[in-house]
Amino acid sequence: MIPFPATRQSVLERVRSQDDEIRRVAFGDLAEGYWKPGYHYLRVHWHLAPEAAEDAVQAFFTTAFEKQYLERYDASKSKFRTFLRVCLDRYVQNLRKAEQAGKRGGGATMLSLDFPGAERELDAAAGTNLHDVDRFFHDETVRFLFARAVDALRQALDADDQAIVFRVFERHDLNPSAEVTYASLAAELHLTVAQVTNYLHLARRRFRELALAKLRAISASEAEYQREALDIFGLDVTRS
Amino acid sequence: MTARLSDAAVGRLRSAASWPDVPPERYAVRALIGRGGMGSVFEAYDQRLGRNVAIKVSNAAVPGTGLDARLRQESVVLGRLEHPGIVPVHDAGELADGRWYYVMKLVRGQTLTEHVATLDGEAAMLGVFERLADTVAFAHANGVIHRDLKPSNIMVGSFGEVLVLDWGVAKILKETPLADGGAEPHDGQAPARDATASGTRVGTPGFMAPELQRGDAVSAGPAADVFSLGALLFWVLTGRPAPDAGDEAGRQLAALATPPSRRLKAVILKCLSPDAGDLVADLARYRAGLPVTAHPEGLIERTWRWLGRYQTFILLVLAYLVMRTLFAWLR
Repeated sequence: MIPFPATRQSVLERVRSQDDEIRRVAFGDLAEGYWKPGYHYLRVHWHLAPEAAEDAVQAFFTTAFEKQYLERYDASKSKFRTFLRVCLDRYVQNLRKAEQAGKRGGGATMLSLDFPGAERELDAAAGTNLHDVDRFFHDETVRFLFARAVDALRQALDADDQAIVFRVFERHDLNPSAEVTYASLAAELHLTVAQVTNYLHLARRRFRELALAKLRAISASEAEYQREALDIFGLDVTRS
Repeated sequence: MTARLSDAAVGRLRSAASWPDVPPERYAVRALIGRGGMGSVFEAYDQRLGRNVAIKVSNAAVPGTGLDARLRQESVVLGRLEHPGIVPVHDAGELADGRWYYVMKLVRGQTLTEHVATLDGEAAMLGVFERLADTVAFAHANGVIHRDLKPSNIMVGSFGEVLVLDWGVAKILKETPLADGGAEPHDGQAPARDATASGTRVGTPGFMAPELQRGDAVSAGPAADVFSLGALLFWVLTGRPAPDAGDEAGRQLAALATPPSRRLKAVILKCLSPDAGDLVADLARYRAGLPVTAHPEGLIERTWRWLGRYQTFILLVLAYLVMRTLFAWLR
């Protein structure tokens, strides 16, 4: 059963909360979902050095929390992801102005993020077409969303003592070679074809559940979550 | 942390996440064939019967929603209509996540949009339409209106079979008893079943009857499909969707480099008019060289049609008379 989260506040509603703890958790969710696309965007589009991009991403979320940037989002004007990217653009512009004026910007450390890992990934992204910055940011966000869901799937299956299920998923869906078939995978992993079929079935379903849950956590509203789920998975998550 | 996913891996995960959780011991899903507003169609292998099939699954991530209801209705409609022009349903059920799906014959072919370019001449085009109209007439006779006939919903198979697809917004006019007597006896007063809400706009602009354009999907009757068939004929001849006004449609047909015959034009305009006649019968009569109800003929026109219809016979008689006269003269 695809879990439809019980009615709860969207991340934007939580960002706008009067309760500081709720706001803090909401910003944590946003930072978790967007820090890597943001970092890659600053490195590739703004050509910031690794340390500068690292500082800027950290400081951006801290400043956005303190100065209530994101509370001004208007769903009728743009997607939340686009709004976030534009905020990041403005933040970097202001940062540069401040640097020119001799002030130091950034430097805030709020999150423990794997910037060296993000930096290594950039090598794989070399040659990315940057003519459409919105598309780049969207693709990076989806890529990171999927990577987080894959990690969560691996952890969940490990915890359930089902590492073999992840192994089948990894070989067939994640890093397949052209000649991989159910039969070849069964032979390689000492399974029956029926087991391969069943494991793949289970892994895909859990991956979908995890990816949808993570998507919902970083969507500004229920309506945006519905649009994104349709766009990314072709799934209609509305209930009417 | 997982290494950076390649674009190909993201694409595969995207597909894998949306693929249906059909019983894996029965079906192995192979590929996504197409995705529409209501559902997605996948190619799969039926492991029990050893054949390829198509599986249509609701796009709804949450079971029991409007999309789910429409897909369920579509499977019921298809199950009810056993006809060579309608894809047969083999199986139906609920996925593990609660969404509805059904399994049907995997059909290979071209949509009418693609196939129309290969049609050679009026006779070939009318052959396709006669089969199409026959399927629609069969549905009407069984109390079902399609309501979304358009080029992409019509498929021409590799053996020339014409199939009407996508019955998701079809309306069941009346409940007819099932073959096993499972349904309640029909008293003629049973309410129509309609998976679309009242006032819902169904259909596709350019092929949609005026009543459907007004959002009056609930009261739309068989005439809505007849309008769409006329609009499809108009589209095949002109390459354009039919205009709203009948006069304009007539003008556009007359302005073609090779305009259709007066009788065929009359059939199309009649379909597009509010008092559409019986297109199925008219198309069959037109192809057989008989008069059509949409176009009353004058004496000269009737004579020409008669001469055209019996051309071979008349030529044989004439040849016989010439030979006989020649022999008589030589003798």
